[in-house]
Amino acid sequence: MLVSVNQTFASISGDFLMTALLIYSLAVVAFAGDFAFGRPRRAAASRVRAERVTQLATVGAGPSGDGPLPPVGESLPAAPVSTWQAIGEAGSWVRAALGLSALGAIAHLVAVVTRGLAVGRAPWGNMYEFITALTCIAAIFFLYVMVRYRAWSLGVFVMGAVVLALGLAETLIYTAAGPLVPALQSYWLSIHVTAMTLATGIFFVAAVLGILYLVVERYRARVAAGKADPGNGLLARIPSAEQLDKLTYRTVIFGFPVWTFGVIAGAIWADQAWGRYWGWDPVETWAFITWVLYAAYLHARATAGWRGTRAHIIQLLGFASLVTNMLVVQVFITGMHSYAGVN
Amino acid sequence: MTELHASQEAVPDSTVPGSTVPCSTVPCSTVADSAPAEEKATSTFPEDGPGGRAALSAKVPAPQTNWDPADPGGRPPQTPPVNFGWGRWAWRQLTSMRTALVLLFLLALGSIPGSLLPQQGQDPAAVQNYFTSHPALAPWLNHLGLFNVFAAPWFAAIYLLLFASLVGCVVPRTFRLAGAARTPPPRAPRNLGRLPHSASYHSALAADEAVAIAAAALGGKRFRLRRPAEGDKTYWVSAEKGYLREAGNLLFHLALLGVLVSIAIGGLFGYKANKLMIEGGSFSNTVSALDEFHPGRLVTGSDLAPFSITLKGFSANYYTSGESRGQPSSFDARISYSSSPGAPAKPYDLRINQPLNVDSLKVYLIGHGYAPEFTVTDQSGKVVYDEATPFIPANTGTFESDGVVKVPDASPTQLGFIGVFVPTAVSVNGVLESAFPAPELPAVSLLGYEGNLGINSGIPQSVYQLDTTAMTQVTAKPFLLQPGQSFTLPGGRGKITFTGYKQWVSLAITYDPGQVPALVCGILALAGLLLSFLVRRRRVFVRAAGTEEGSVVTVGGLARTDAGGGFEDEFAELVAQLRAAHNEGHSVGPTEQQSEA
Amino acid sequence: MPSRLVTTVKGRKRAAVSLAAVAAVLLAGGLWAAQASGGTPNGETYVDGNPSAVLYDTGHRALVPDFSGTTLAGVPLRLATYRGTVVVLNFWGSWCAPCRSEGETLAALSGRYAHAGVSFIGVDENDTPTNAEAFEQGFGIKYPSLNDPSASIAQAVSSAVLISSPPTTLVIDRTGHVAGAIFGTATYSVLNTMISKAMTGKAGA
Repeated sequence: MLVSVNQTFASISGDFLMTALLIYSLAVVAFAGDFAFGRPRRAAASRVRAERVTQLATVGAGPSGDGPLPPVGESLPAAPVSTWQAIGEAGSWVRAALGLSALGAIAHLVAVVTRGLAVGRAPWGNMYEFITALTCIAAIFFLYVMVRYRAWSLGVFVMGAVVLALGLAETLIYTAAGPLVPALQSYWLSIHVTAMTLATGIFFVAAVLGILYLVVERYRARVAAGKADPGNGLLARIPSAEQLDKLTYRTVIFGFPVWTFGVIAGAIWADQAWGRYWGWDPVETWAFITWVLYAAYLHARATAGWRGTRAHIIQLLGFASLVTNMLVVQVFITGMHSYAGVN
Repeated sequence: MTELHASQEAVPDSTVPGSTVPCSTVPCSTVADSAPAEEKATSTFPEDGPGGRAALSAKVPAPQTNWDPADPGGRPPQTPPVNFGWGRWAWRQLTSMRTALVLLFLLALGSIPGSLLPQQGQDPAAVQNYFTSHPALAPWLNHLGLFNVFAAPWFAAIYLLLFASLVGCVVPRTFRLAGAARTPPPRAPRNLGRLPHSASYHSALAADEAVAIAAAALGGKRFRLRRPAEGDKTYWVSAEKGYLREAGNLLFHLALLGVLVSIAIGGLFGYKANKLMIEGGSFSNTVSALDEFHPGRLVTGSDLAPFSITLKGFSANYYTSGESRGQPSSFDARISYSSSPGAPAKPYDLRINQPLNVDSLKVYLIGHGYAPEFTVTDQSGKVVYDEATPFIPANTGTFESDGVVKVPDASPTQLGFIGVFVPTAVSVNGVLESAFPAPELPAVSLLGYEGNLGINSGIPQSVYQLDTTAMTQVTAKPFLLQPGQSFTLPGGRGKITFTGYKQWVSLAITYDPGQVPALVCGILALAGLLLSFLVRRRRVFVRAAGTEEGSVVTVGGLARTDAGGGFEDEFAELVAQLRAAHNEGHSVGPTEQQSEA
Repeated sequence: MPSRLVTTVKGRKRAAVSLAAVAAVLLAGGLWAAQASGGTPNGETYVDGNPSAVLYDTGHRALVPDFSGTTLAGVPLRLATYRGTVVVLNFWGSWCAPCRSEGETLAALSGRYAHAGVSFIGVDENDTPTNAEAFEQGFGIKYPSLNDPSASIAQAVSSAVLISSPPTTLVIDRTGHVAGAIFGTATYSVLNTMISKAMTGKAGA
């Protein structure tokens, strides 16, 4: 089937992507501004802990409030702070950064969608499209995580990484919109590559958080050993190592089933196209290695002496193997998976 | 303090007040392996580690009598008893988390050479090339099994040990889960204020009514309940929920085992075969017709399903313009097949991503190429060769293809030709190249040889390679032929005519009875994974103590590895609901009716 | 009181079940790697100890299904018409090196037994008629061959004896059952032995 490329949509996609890149860069600047100059606040992901508040007034339970005042000594779980309230309290730098990030994410999404419209298929058929899509997912997912856990100080790092990745894709890996080789013409493209794209985007966020964890943990160790000044303002603004650890863990357990599903979908597709569901093709092998390493991270978190720094190193090794798979194995090692489209 | 030590036989258990980080990475078999002091020794949910998944702190010993609930610090590690058998020690080591971690690393590490070096199973020709280009290194790598990593014994040892460790952990935990599912939750601790989540409020209801309403509310949410025994004068209810988490965890690991077994079934009873077919040709599924046949260990050639296929025609379409010029747009092999000899023939369009299913076998279109047709007459004028000869594409973009013509029955001497076929001939600096993969201007360039092909000796030869050691070249340089043209060999040795060309396709035929079970197990594994990540094991306790105006209701909650977050919200919502229920219960009472709004 | 892993009855049972499960996994792995091997199957003997040259005892001989086709010379041929004679059925191809190395043997033996009630039939696999005829003329083979490009004859005969890659030679006795099979190049002495045994009608020994 000969599919012509809709050049209008293709050029719109390119324009919107450049726009997104620009807006993201401004957002990173705003996050950095908050980091350096913003309102000092506890570096806490506030929804993680339960707050105990002793209240004297009834907290909206029961019919009307005309019962007798409850005696002193009641304690009830605190009502959580609403999202808008939290954003309002975070300061103007954060508000600016969030607004820019959201705007950038919208532009990014439009770029991805119009690319799909341009080529009449799911827009992840080659390396460039894959990176574009996964950074979009990473950005949106991270925005959700950041808002949910009020982790404003993480913005500069994760969005910075997104900008870097997107910039690299634009400059080094750009591929013009084009049709797919016959082996990729299948509805499994939408399923398998979508899942891998999603999972990669999520693991991308987890990797950035993991690096942050290592930095904070090392700083904490140095403070404990007396080699560093505990009052270092910049590092104190990042969530604590424990919170980063939990956040990373939750991100990984979100991404791991998606990766598993992607591998299974890939196996089903491989069976349809190549006659076997698993053939230790280099890309398949490295997807397996990535899976095993993330499984090792999850096991490490439950093993004495392996939690903390070592577990995070394992998780970062997993992401490294994922990136190796994407950028090195697919491009340089011949196998049946070499559809990167990079020449 | 007996409530605090509430423990049942199956689940040695106690609540640990004040501990928000559930602890105990006690490995599956022993406390002795765990790191000392900084690790907390006991927890409310000894089955799970903080990671939740597959943490194997199974047999936590019952708490010491001198245990201080206010001290979350660790007990000293247990020293092994003197009469420790080596077998038991080895067993514990094997089923420990640390071993599982090491084995996982080894699995990942061991897979790396399998992706970087050429592998015998996928590309034997590349392995041969590696031997020729690395003559010193290659034999050593071969000794280590690195050219067939995934079938190597050491790789098998890694995953078999890993699965042994898995089974050795999972099976006891399954029993434990079954036991725990049958035992009621522990008694409510006396001081609920020490739990990570707690709330207290006043209710106008009497203590027993308050607890009854709380029990009903919790039971309605499918919590499992425990009430005080008959004659116990305290008012409390314990509720527990979330066994699906451990069940999901176990399901995941057992499903992985199922995947392994399915792969083994496929390896034993399945087979793979390859066949190259030229347009117009047909083949029956029998061993002698197959180019390659890789049976599973328990498969013989007589297990092949007796179908047959005829290749009516093959067409490959390419983009002719734009940036994707030369890229294939579609492949279509038009075949007709019959599932057994004598059965009616049915047509089918075989494409990539569209295999043929016949008799639980699958036939796939793998590749294609060109087979130029040659006619050779020898010195006496007799036609000694007339066949379409498959050439192998050297360049899958332009389909410039290499091949060989062997004429073993030419007289007086055997003849051989080495050729390059190009579908769209173009001359680049005097060198013949192909400009486009479709046959717009086909041509073939040949070099002629005469002598001994070596084929009569009985040693099998590749049909794609010519051994010229016992042959002499008869043409000084290659000659170019277009369809219909002939070349007369010097010295009256004969004539070769390039009569035309056909296309060939390569098919893969596979039978894998383990395929569907592997998929089912994969899906079950995914389901188990999701369950183990999403479900929280949690306990909620409600106590009521009578006061003059009614009672003070205390609610306490504890969640094991609240990894996904959210127990906080659930607890708050639960408290609000209980409070509402109590207030409603309060307003139903006769003394309060006049104050209803 | 500290508890130990396997001192309770329940603990021992669980350990036993776990050990059994592990043993089962390892055993399955071992079985998977095991080769089915053994000595000579029942009812077969090897000529000169060569497992590629098999003689079948009467009572262990498979019936060859009937097949038909047109020979390279254009004459129709059907296997059933040869019942009552010993038939040497040879699967070959002009491209196949081991087939070429037995060409002289086949020509010689077919000539020797030409009037002794032994018929040679060739089945040509994966060849064009031109190439096949060139082979026959080159080796002086005079007995008829059927062209079987789709391997349907090989498929049919495989129900009696599995025909893998050529050359494969079957010696069929007078009742149409396979008395002997050579998987690979046929040497003069081995094929000669098989033919004479089939002619005498005695069981292979």
